[in-house]
Amino acid sequence: MGQLYQAISEVEENLSKLLEEVRSLRQYVEYLEEENIKLKRQLCAVSEADTARVQKNAARIQKEAHENLEKLYQEGFHVCHIYFGEPLEGSCLFCNAFLRKD
Amino acid sequence: MIILCTKEDLLSGVNTVQRAVSTKSTLPILQGIKLSATKEGLWFEATDLELGIRILLPVNIQEEGEVVLPARLFAEVVRRLPDSSIRIESSGHNINIFYNDSHFELNGYDPEEYPEMADIPSGDVIELPGPTFKNMIKQTVFACAVEETRPVFTGLLLQIEKEKISLVSTDTHRLAYSKSLLNGNEKEFSGIIPSKTMQEIYRLVGDEEFLNIKVSKSRVIFNFNNIQVLTRLIEGQFPNYKQVIPQTCNTKLLINTRKLLDTVERASLLSRDNYLKTNTVRFNIENSSININQYSELGKISEQLEIEQEGEDVAISFNAKYIIDLLKIIETDKVILETSGPYSPCVFRPENNEDYLCLVLPLRN
Ligand SMILES: [Zn+2]
Repeated sequence: MGQLYQAISEVEENLSKLLEEVRSLRQYVEYLEEENIKLKRQLCAVSEADTARVQKNAARIQKEAHENLEKLYQEGFHVCHIYFGEPLEGSCLFCNAFLRKD
Repeated sequence: MIILCTKEDLLSGVNTVQRAVSTKSTLPILQGIKLSATKEGLWFEATDLELGIRILLPVNIQEEGEVVLPARLFAEVVRRLPDSSIRIESSGHNINIFYNDSHFELNGYDPEEYPEMADIPSGDVIELPGPTFKNMIKQTVFACAVEETRPVFTGLLLQIEKEKISLVSTDTHRLAYSKSLLNGNEKEFSGIIPSKTMQEIYRLVGDEEFLNIKVSKSRVIFNFNNIQVLTRLIEGQFPNYKQVIPQTCNTKLLINTRKLLDTVERASLLSRDNYLKTNTVRFNIENSSININQYSELGKISEQLEIEQEGEDVAISFNAKYIIDLLKIIETDKVILETSGPYSPCVFRPENNEDYLCLVLPLRN
């Protein structure tokens, strides 16, 4: 009988550990849900004008960066990751592919 | 070591291995050819530590042994031997070559010092179809970089994935790609093989139906006929070549290969020695013809070549050498040219053949 008691108390112990884990998980889920709602609210608060402005800015920066790389290539320097910044002899397939990709 | 052989035997051995002899003088013994007389026959071998070549010749071995002889001198002697029966005897590191009633004594190196060309004991063995593989080398090896700060471009990327095999080479201005099928293969391999090794494989593979390759992470051994070619692989990452191959085009042409080659070769006569050192040829593509109108201080050429054209008119300049190189290895009567304008890579491929293509980036004006 002593053995059986011991087995039962082990199961009890395991179950309570599991319960503890479930509780902490629930807390975590609650926290995530709150965070999600907060973010959704923030997103709503951003006006369409703001979004458009940010997107336009990003596009402009990207375009400028692309133009700078294109210029660098035209002036005779590699812009591909293999040789970046090194002097170019004629042309380079990898620079070309990098500049043509959208 | 005592052997009985013919001039032909010696010539065949020397000619097979000679290009693996080191041209650098850092380690003098590498300028030698090693001869090993064994029960199997007479092995010739040479290595520059990057590439090693061995060949086994069935000659009459009277006594086993090995010697290392200065490659260039030994080759010269062999070429000048009479067509009589020949007997070679070693004495210490040196040999005596007996022919007719004469003999030639040659001083050698200590064979103990010669580096061993080790086997790959646990490597995967893959069987390649001889003629197909040889053709794939021919289609790609020319586009490798000759001298390069990035060693990966001096080699060919060999990729084997189950039943698919491909070879890719690029010098960053052009790219050649060839693929084929390996029926029944289950194994995989990817490695960059030095172009010198591939040129030797191309030279040495005869009409063997198959060659075996044994592969490891750093080395490959090619086995065919009675020859073994061992090579170190080039370390480094081969760039993602797939991203440079255009998937669409604005203009597609079908051109007579021979006529285009002749035209470009004639046009390049005017520009090849110009002060800019660029051998430019300019294609004006319009109304189903390619027009070439060029002049230099040497003269003027004006040619018109009828073609089949789909899509937009376009004018593109190329390095004539690149066009000549690729047209020379295209075996079909007609070649397809696909372009999306003077700033995009131009794709050349044989008509009715999806297994091969060569990309050339136009020259910027
Ligand atoms: Zn580049």
